Amino acid sequence: MKARLFLLWIAVGIPLLWGTYKTLENALKLFQ
Amino acid sequence: MSSSFLDRQNTVAGPGFNRFMVPPAALAVHLCIGQAYAFSTFNLPLTKLLGLTQSAPGDWNLKDVGWIFSIAIVFLGSSAALFGRWVERVGPRKSMFVAALCFAGGFLVSAVGIHLHQLWIIYLGYGVLGGCGLGIGYISPVSTLIKWFPDRPGMATGMAIMGFGGGALIAAPLSVILMKHFTTAASNGVMETFVTMGVIYFMFMMIGVVSVRVPAEGWRPAGWVPSEHPKKLVTAANVSVDVAWRTPQFWMLWGVLCMNVTAGIGVLGQASPMIQEMFSGKVTAAAAAGFVGLISLFNMIGRFFWASTSDYIGRRNTYMVFFLLGILLYSLVPTFGHMGSTPLFVAAFCVILSMYGGGFATIPAYLRDIFGTFQVGAIHGRLLTAWSVAGVLGPVLVNYIRQYQIDSGVPKAQAYSVTMYIMCGLLLIGFICNFAMREVNAKYYYRAGEGAVAGSKA
Repeated sequence: MKARLFLLWIAVGIPLLWGTYKTLENALKLFQ
Repeated sequence: MSSSFLDRQNTVAGPGFNRFMVPPAALAVHLCIGQAYAFSTFNLPLTKLLGLTQSAPGDWNLKDVGWIFSIAIVFLGSSAALFGRWVERVGPRKSMFVAALCFAGGFLVSAVGIHLHQLWIIYLGYGVLGGCGLGIGYISPVSTLIKWFPDRPGMATGMAIMGFGGGALIAAPLSVILMKHFTTAASNGVMETFVTMGVIYFMFMMIGVVSVRVPAEGWRPAGWVPSEHPKKLVTAANVSVDVAWRTPQFWMLWGVLCMNVTAGIGVLGQASPMIQEMFSGKVTAAAAAGFVGLISLFNMIGRFFWASTSDYIGRRNTYMVFFLLGILLYSLVPTFGHMGSTPLFVAAFCVILSMYGGGFATIPAYLRDIFGTFQVGAIHGRLLTAWSVAGVLGPVLVNYIRQYQIDSGVPKAQAYSVTMYIMCGLLLIGFICNFAMREVNAKYYYRAGEGAVAGSKA
């Protein structure tokens, strides 16, 4: 159950972190 | 996939099930349907399907393409209101599955529309079918999460609804990457992107379909005992959906959501030109795109932060903060513009947009406090019609007042001042609705075995 829980959070966490990273990368242009 | 697998009775969790499996299941759906907020990425490419690098005769114009998103939002609210009770009855797995079929199907039908170059097929595909997927998908995990987390309903629903904000952050760069990948000498890659996204989103939403569970009847978190002295404005009773929408409380909450969303959504849609016009010469188009990204990020973070905070300070107090702080910040924005202070301007809008997202994420827990858990998902669905109204009202107010100001000779840099003060007025109406919130009269309570409502006869 713990492994499944971990995998599930990884499955939704990775795209979310990727989207956040890309957005922050874009947002930095505001301060350049 | 057999129909029985989707039935509610087959989703009841066994002993030892970890309830923290449910939020990522809900997130898997919300991260997909949140793509709607990034649909504007396709607007320009959709106007260049024939010309490829620029619009050619016969290509669609931006105004007509803009209707795709508007239709989707209208159908989001309508389907959430219409199918809310069905979602409650069939449970989260079947409703998530139908949402996945509609949402992914919307992309595929739209791809056919692009292939045949028929805009009405896209209206029908992404707008109507996809919009129904948005509405059903948005409400499908809400009541399940509230039942799994009676001790932290705000945090649980905030986590899922945060996914709707996060979905745009994923979809915007993903769409750009896919369109670039599929671009050829004969195509700008939009049709292929629609097909790919439809398939990807369907598969990702299936993660939620397979993982979601409902708690067994009478289940409670280990060690958690409901308080014998519930907090003010937190009911232990239930009100059915058909009765709830006849109570003044429903319409006050409708006003609360509508005003909060109207104030935020108009700015969200106009953020890029607004910062460029208010800080003319200081903020470039690229920097303005960064501003849009930053406020989208705060829109997402606010959903989790404010909804979780509401578990501690109460729902009404949370909305009090939204309205009072919102009025203060909106009234200061013109001053920040006159001062030429970009950091203060950006900071103000980051907080404002966090409260916009927070308003969406806190409302399910507020509904649960007022109407109980019985049909909270269906009541939430009906309340989302406030979003459809705000989705039209907000942008219209911002755009029309700006244009009126410019036509009256006001410089562009100052054309938003009146709009900001009007937003303060809207937030004041929301504040009054929230301030007037009282517990539901006991005559409206649902009593099992007495039909829909005992109190309706009272």
